[in-house]
Amino acid sequence: MSDQQEKVGYGITVFRPGTPASAKMRGIVFFIIFCIIILVQSFYWLFANSAKPFVLGMPFGMFFIVLFIMIEFAALIILYFLESKNIEEKGDV
Amino acid sequence: MAWILVLTIIFIYLFFVLFLGSWAGRGRESSVVEYIAASRGLGFIVMYFLMGGAIFSAFAYLGGPGWAYSKGAAAFYIVGYCALGLVPWWLWGPRALRAGKKFQYVTQAQLFSDRFQSKALSVIIAVVSILAFIQYITLQMKGCAYVFEIASEGRIRFEYGALIAYVVVLIYVFFGGVRGVAWTHVFQGVFMVVTAWVLGLYLAYNLYGGPSEMFRQIAQANPTHLLVGPGAKMSFAAFASALLVSVLGFSMWPHLFMKAYTAKSERVLKQTIVFYPTFAIFLVPVLFIGFAGIMQVKPDELGAADRILPWMFSHMQFPPVAVGLILAAALAAAMSTQDTITHAAGSIFAQDFVEVLKKEKHSDREARMWVRISVVCFGAVSYMVAIFGGQTLVALLLGAYGSIVQLLPLAAATFFWPRATKTGAICGILAGVLYNYAIVLKIIPTFWDIHAGIQGLVLNFIVLIAVSLLTNPMDREHVQKFATL
Repeated sequence: MSDQQEKVGYGITVFRPGTPASAKMRGIVFFIIFCIIILVQSFYWLFANSAKPFVLGMPFGMFFIVLFIMIEFAALIILYFLESKNIEEKGDV
Repeated sequence: MAWILVLTIIFIYLFFVLFLGSWAGRGRESSVVEYIAASRGLGFIVMYFLMGGAIFSAFAYLGGPGWAYSKGAAAFYIVGYCALGLVPWWLWGPRALRAGKKFQYVTQAQLFSDRFQSKALSVIIAVVSILAFIQYITLQMKGCAYVFEIASEGRIRFEYGALIAYVVVLIYVFFGGVRGVAWTHVFQGVFMVVTAWVLGLYLAYNLYGGPSEMFRQIAQANPTHLLVGPGAKMSFAAFASALLVSVLGFSMWPHLFMKAYTAKSERVLKQTIVFYPTFAIFLVPVLFIGFAGIMQVKPDELGAADRILPWMFSHMQFPPVAVGLILAAALAAAMSTQDTITHAAGSIFAQDFVEVLKKEKHSDREARMWVRISVVCFGAVSYMVAIFGGQTLVALLLGAYGSIVQLLPLAAATFFWPRATKTGAICGILAGVLYNYAIVLKIIPTFWDIHAGIQGLVLNFIVLIAVSLLTNPMDREHVQKFATL
């Protein structure tokens, strides 16, 4: 998007006006992390298309998917706590 | 006479759900916002189960084990997409919540049609949503009918079984609204998860001595069953694109998207997203049930793969009480999806179709009446489709299922790209939906083995961007209201 378009208010707007630079950076980092998690699960067969070894009673492919669900869960908890100060409790607008 | 005890347990469950759902809506204000969005006041626990109940459907409970039994590793995609489905909601869920409070929206189409200033868009979204809903709910009805057929040892016929469950759902949705749906989900969610874990682990340990030994025997008997790709039941491209389309489309389902309007606060909404992956972990033992059946019964003997769960416990010599509880849990899985879809479909038809096409706005009382009438009519139509639906209709409805993901560019454009125009939005969604249908109806060939929804989505984005840039931008002040939420 060109600068001129930004000025007239039609450019891509990812963050709300007034969002601090640190929050923007955090948002970008977590966006990339979740994109990687989604892609790794979609293309899990590149890394773990195998029955063995069996881990926690599951074939390796299934364990790999479950492992990335746990990683996703942990990432969401971290993101939530990092953002918790900024989350509007009452959702007032 | 064991079937009488099994049916008694199922009817106790049905009465309890009926009471809970109808009770939840008592004493609340009589308004459209209360009926559709619970006065924007649901807390975390109720929101968590309200969203979770929607994925713990007949597909997950009966179809999941069926997939594990017949398609093996392809079933892992169900766990994957359930865990990831709400992640994109982090981007637009809070924005939708703020928009709902600010502009008094209660449905998804109200948001998009207001942003793009288009009644036509509202009607298109309503039609696509309702077609997809009918296909989805038909699956749930068949699941319910199946449960009654097994519980009564064939005495309750398909059409009566589907009718019994649906009448119960209709009553508490009619009287309780989304609050009734939410509270029944809390009960049904806990019940389903406990039953799934007990049954999945019991079968693996009882039949094989543990899950590791079970999978070792499966891998030895059929080396490709626990893999995807060449020689397996699902290709690499099909697995990746099915998971991607499900993740991208999941939060676009209108019955899930509009739940953003029911949350009490942004904090509650984000807590729901954080804990949602736990529901996917709950699904793992459900797949164990299907895997446990592989070495027990041959596909020819079983018939349809979806029969694996009832086959397993009917051959395990379980006491009637246990059979009744398992069947009630399967019924809960189907009903917890059926109720939320029935409620959403009625709301969408009344608010996004009838209300939009009518010249004068309904009063709140009239609008609420229209939602309730729509709930009953949608139920009747879905029931007729489930009982009499022909092959052509089924194909059309399957196309609608893939069309839901075509709402994604609208959400992205609404919140992040003010330059998107009304013409671009309409052309984009029509291109995506029609292309998707063309593949499903075999008018054009599919590209490699990539899901039709993903192909339509790419075309949708291209058309939306190109047409928007070729048309005059919309009023800056208006579009900025949505981009700065």
